[in-house]
Amino acid sequence: MEVLEKLAILADSAKYDVSCSSSGSSRPGEKNALGSASLPGICHSFSDDGRCISLLKILYTNKCIYDCGYCINRSSNDELKRVEFTPDELVDLMIQFYRRNYIEGLFLSSGVVRNPNYTMEQLIEVVKRLRTVERFNGYIHLKGIPGADAKLIEEAGKYVDRISINIELPTTKSLRLLAPEKSRIDMINPMMQIKEGIEEYRSDKGRFKNAQKFVPAGQTTQLIVGASPEADYNILRIAESFYKKMDLKRVYYSSYIPVGNVPSCQPYGEMSLMREHRIYQADWLLRFYGFRAGEILTEEDPFLEMMIDPKCQWALRNMQYFPIEINRADLMTLLRIPGIGNVTARRILASRKFGPLDFDALKRMGVVLKRAKYFITCRGKMMTAADQNPFLIRQLLADVSPQISLFEIYPNQFGVSS
Amino acid sequence: MKDYLYDGSFEGALTGIYQMFNDRVKAGEARLVWAATYQRDCFTKVTEVETDPSKAEKVTRWLLEEFGEIGFRRAAYAYLSDDDQYGTYLFCFLKKMNRLGEKGLDFFADQDINKVYKIYNRVCRESHLLLGLIRFMELENGILYATFEPTANILTLLTGHFKERLSNQIWVIHDTKRKIAAFYDGKEVYIRPLDELEDLKLSGSEKAYQDMWKTYFKRIAIERRNNPRQQMHMMPKKYWKFLVEKPQEKTK
Ligand code: SF4
Repeated sequence: MEVLEKLAILADSAKYDVSCSSSGSSRPGEKNALGSASLPGICHSFSDDGRCISLLKILYTNKCIYDCGYCINRSSNDELKRVEFTPDELVDLMIQFYRRNYIEGLFLSSGVVRNPNYTMEQLIEVVKRLRTVERFNGYIHLKGIPGADAKLIEEAGKYVDRISINIELPTTKSLRLLAPEKSRIDMINPMMQIKEGIEEYRSDKGRFKNAQKFVPAGQTTQLIVGASPEADYNILRIAESFYKKMDLKRVYYSSYIPVGNVPSCQPYGEMSLMREHRIYQADWLLRFYGFRAGEILTEEDPFLEMMIDPKCQWALRNMQYFPIEINRADLMTLLRIPGIGNVTARRILASRKFGPLDFDALKRMGVVLKRAKYFITCRGKMMTAADQNPFLIRQLLADVSPQISLFEIYPNQFGVSS
Repeated sequence: MKDYLYDGSFEGALTGIYQMFNDRVKAGEARLVWAATYQRDCFTKVTEVETDPSKAEKVTRWLLEEFGEIGFRRAAYAYLSDDDQYGTYLFCFLKKMNRLGEKGLDFFADQDINKVYKIYNRVCRESHLLLGLIRFMELENGILYATFEPTANILTLLTGHFKERLSNQIWVIHDTKRKIAAFYDGKEVYIRPLDELEDLKLSGSEKAYQDMWKTYFKRIAIERRNNPRQQMHMMPKKYWKFLVEKPQEKTK
């Protein structure tokens, strides 16, 4: 079979994995080698669904012995044509795409063919060949196959920038229901192992010049949202604990897209991109704005609102903290204000040194006054005489035509900070 | 009102700055504009700036010493924007900076400082975007060749990246709008004038890889989430002409 046809089928099978970012590694080029890595990552194109294409996101094979209800490659799906690359084919494709600047590197994943160890060995063969034979120095993200031996994970870690073991579903219960052959422990163990490996590499790197590299761009995971009944609150709590315990770089959330008709795997609740988007925004608050999951949502109030963003939702529930005086607040306080992001908060701090700021200056600096104006004062004055009734403000803040902004999901790729 | 006219080069702009500071011009009193597109009238006094490398050099050294690498970069990258107001913006920016010193770079609330920052930032964004959108094709002789037409004159900002990344290749990046190209011979990068090339001979396998990329591009999108607005927003249409993949083209 032609490589072109395999490529078409295996891209089709890979597209539901959401992570594509090429960030977290910075590596200059080397003499007589191909490739480098750029810290913020680079988008090379945008597909028709508006997503960034950075890495060649591809499966080694879509043959799979498992039967996960949410996955297009599940063994019971007989509508799918099954194909498998050879390491040679995939390596050639990678190098030729990379030379032409189509891509930033490789994101390699696979169905489980024969058994987890065999599959993992094939993937290692590809990345090893890229690094050692082709002297490829660009970005590689490898998906770890749950259930593969620890020593294979260790071997893989030497060649790749990033590994992800997908946790797939928020609870063990859902996992048992939808992916009966996978066990939570087969995911947690390698994640722990990778975490420890990375820590070891970090400390060795400081001490020895030739420390063995290990997953320098860290590990990530993916959760499918909406294939099982868990609420946003539970999802955020899980993400929060993964960030803390596993030191993950990112948790990716993928809104479930039913692929074929699996009775046990019907979509739950509001199945929208909007929900995925709101969860990403909340995740953002966890990672960069000093919020805790329990502040954003509670057990009694476990869902994010679709009409307003999570920060507004939090602010409206906590009107006692507002309005905040822009000319006095510290960084963490500024970050709590709707309409003020990390970059603008820092600019406010820097510019304040030259004298008090007014609303015009805030606007120039990128504050979204449309949202912020209900929550701030400049030299004691509010911008509008709007009353402080949260109900009214909620109406005014509602996203009229909510547009998913990839800017927020992949800020590094688009933002060039000074 | 008073207008200083310069030849559009970076050295010209810096020479203009030198002269304006020398003449003790106040911000808001005069403009620094391109001579080529200037419309004379009888109310404005005009001074023609004669580009002088040694004066430009002095200003450069002043910028670097007083406002550091970052300050210099803001002024220089903003120049690459080809914005026709650049000279005047630069003058107002430097008047302010002269008073505030290096720390003034953080004064984002200030109009003059913000203006140059915004233009600088626009240039940075375009050059970051194009690091990804440049498409090389392999010629018969193995050379990788790319054409593009950026809005800002960013060719020089791309070369460092590709020198690192494609260090073991031989490549040419051609700005067909400005008719200049960067040549990399495996060691060094040279920037030279270059007219549109005709009759390029592609390597034997080039078309096959282009087809594979087009196929991949189509297949990786989740159809039921099609979002052409987002796609166009992230990757403006003006760049499509140079892509191998043609967004929104129907596949067979
Ligand atoms: S093991 Fe992976 S590829 Fe196989 S069915 Fe499950 S999710 Fe899909």
